[in-house]
Amino acid sequence: MRLKAYGLIFWTVVGVLALLVASPALSRILVYPRTEFFTELGILDANHRAEGYPFNISRNQNYSIFLGVGNRLGYCAYYVVQVKFRNQTQPAPTSFGPIEERVPSSLPSLFNITAFVADEEAWELPLTFSFDYGYNETLSQVEFYGLTLNDVVLDMKGYTINWDSEKRGFFGNLFFELWIYNREISDVSKFQYHGRFVSLRFNMTVWGLS
Amino acid sequence: MGLWSFRGGFAFLAALMLMLLVVGGSSCVFAADGTEGDARAAIAEAKNRVADCYRAVADAESAGANVTGLLNALNEAGMLLSRGYLAYNVGDFGSARDFAVWCSGNLTGVVNEADALKQTAIQERYWDFMVNVVGSAVGSIAIVCGGFAVWFFLERREKSRGNAK
Repeated sequence: MRLKAYGLIFWTVVGVLALLVASPALSRILVYPRTEFFTELGILDANHRAEGYPFNISRNQNYSIFLGVGNRLGYCAYYVVQVKFRNQTQPAPTSFGPIEERVPSSLPSLFNITAFVADEEAWELPLTFSFDYGYNETLSQVEFYGLTLNDVVLDMKGYTINWDSEKRGFFGNLFFELWIYNREISDVSKFQYHGRFVSLRFNMTVWGLS
Repeated sequence: MGLWSFRGGFAFLAALMLMLLVVGGSSCVFAADGTEGDARAAIAEAKNRVADCYRAVADAESAGANVTGLLNALNEAGMLLSRGYLAYNVGDFGSARDFAVWCSGNLTGVVNEADALKQTAIQERYWDFMVNVVGSAVGSIAIVCGGFAVWFFLERREKSRGNAK
């Protein structure tokens, strides 16, 4: 009779002890599985904020931004960020529809930035860039000579921006397309467009240029 | 005879100069072509090496290894390869080759290191599984079984004491 009176306490102690000892195994079993696998791509301004991005661009003036890639794919990923420039009439990457069906811009890449990012990690690259360009008064257009990106000089001959009489400016976009290395495909390049891009819109100022 | 030898010497000199010109010219052509070919080959090799290293590092990471250091090396090599591509595209084959060779050189030993980290991670994961999953599951079952054993022992002892009274 006396033993049965202590039964509840005894089995409670046994149960708590068993749960304590089983907790490492339970923590593995009871973890909610990851269901969303994706990549983040973003640009921050020089102060690490999502504001104050450069807009009015002067010739040969340096501007700083941060380019970031966050990997939530569940594996270490090999990315290439293609740096491209377009004026308002040139093709942009598609922004709508399912991300797998989006297509990149057909414009050539000015430079490829390689990034290897571990799972659940973020990678960030400070970028300093400046544009070298002139103003053709006869054609009323901005003609580019080069883009200096982190001390790498990129050839931009042939790139032009015409005067936008409606918005009154020479507008262009510097954009970054994200491509990913696919180990599974047997293609030669093995890089596929990852459906993501970020873009900076610029107004190329021409005061004092001719 | 003197005239003959003079003519012969002149002809020999002219032939020698012509030969030097042809060989020199062709070697220049070969050198230019070779530089482009060298650059292309070096870039292709660097590209393959980067891909091989990435596969090894990704395998190590999926085995549970900490590959932060190796990813830094890969990121540096990737930037060098990009610079190599850029130099190649603008026709600066010497720089393209140098960047590609530099890229490949930076990745020396990465595959071996990744494989070693992978093996260590596999072993650590095995022992982690044995201790934290198997060990704790067996331990908790043992506690429950021990509890039953103690309970029955105490019950039996109480009964035997009751009978004795």
